[in-house]
Amino acid sequence: MNGLRWTAAILLCGWLGQYPLAMLVPHLIMERLHHKVVERVGHNQLNLTLRTDETSRWVVRPSPDLLYASCMYDLEQGPVMISAPVPERYWSMQFYQMNTDNFAGIHNQREQRLRRGTLVEVTLLGPDADPAEYPGEVIQSPTTRGVMLLRASSIGDNSEAQAALQNSRCTAQAQTVPS
Amino acid sequence: MKKLHTFRWPLAALLSLAASILFLLLSLKQGLGNSFLKNGDWRTSKSTGSSEAGAIDKTVIAIGGLLASTREDSIYYILNSVAGEPLRLNCRYRIEGNDYDADWWSITAYGTDYFLIPNRDKRYSFNNENLTRGEDGRWIIQIGTQQEEGNWLPVGPSGSPTESQSSDYDFDLLLRLYTPGAAYLQQPESAPLPVVTLESCS
Repeated sequence: MNGLRWTAAILLCGWLGQYPLAMLVPHLIMERLHHKVVERVGHNQLNLTLRTDETSRWVVRPSPDLLYASCMYDLEQGPVMISAPVPERYWSMQFYQMNTDNFAGIHNQREQRLRRGTLVEVTLLGPDADPAEYPGEVIQSPTTRGVMLLRASSIGDNSEAQAALQNSRCTAQAQTVPS
Repeated sequence: MKKLHTFRWPLAALLSLAASILFLLLSLKQGLGNSFLKNGDWRTSKSTGSSEAGAIDKTVIAIGGLLASTREDSIYYILNSVAGEPLRLNCRYRIEGNDYDADWWSITAYGTDYFLIPNRDKRYSFNNENLTRGEDGRWIIQIGTQQEEGNWLPVGPSGSPTESQSSDYDFDLLLRLYTPGAAYLQQPESAPLPVVTLESCS
């Protein structure tokens, strides 16, 4: 009887324990991605992927119809400034926290203000910063580290999309509150 | 027996951890199963990329679709079986469709390693612009390992040499709809989608 009780308790704990484990896995995968890209280009730098084929292995399920630029941000030392010209065709700027949540995004096809030729400038803040202290477009990350991903359509003549990503920037700012 | 009594708590903790891993693997094996919506043979989720997604769903997405966007930006439909039969490399399939309410859309084939499938033509996907269509705007994509006329989407073994296949299908298809219209945002389980059929198997 005692053995049955132990077995039932172990199975119950095992069943419940899968959920904290499941919460850990996305963090581990994001950590691995961060490590891979930071090793290549460093924190708060853009990593361009201007051609996607079977050798593209930095993230699963890459789209051959998109060009990518990613920035592994670290807001420990202060905000990060992101600037990106908007091309004519589909373009988006997405923000992911370390548990993979896509917590913010900007899309050129839904917002009239983001038409071709616009320069999007975003100040990305850490969880403890006060957004009211920063001018312009501000996005607050729920975690100190995360991923900013630019996607641009590569369908047809993709020279404009390529130029847009090549002219985009992800730059750490000095930790000073602007006047 | 006395030793077992002494170590019963650490042993129980270890067994619980092992059981947790086992339960998690079983949940992941179901993959996009229980909590995902079905639309024909395609499956999707309303909570992909969102903070509302449950722990198991987030893990499934992190493993097989890292950095997926929320559906306001793009909605993803995945297909790895037709009428209950897993997609196989020894079979030919046909996808038929028209146009869909989105800024643009694409259909991409992926190996069981979740990466693009190596092929001589470097053809990994079709999108709404590069398909050859009939006069009525409709299109057909043929999927298989042998070259075909028209819109042929080649498939083959995955590119990871050491990858041991744990799935029961040989490849899968991902339909992406970028900036999707209201039908996909509000009724993803009944919105119009391409139809995939099995043509033949060898």
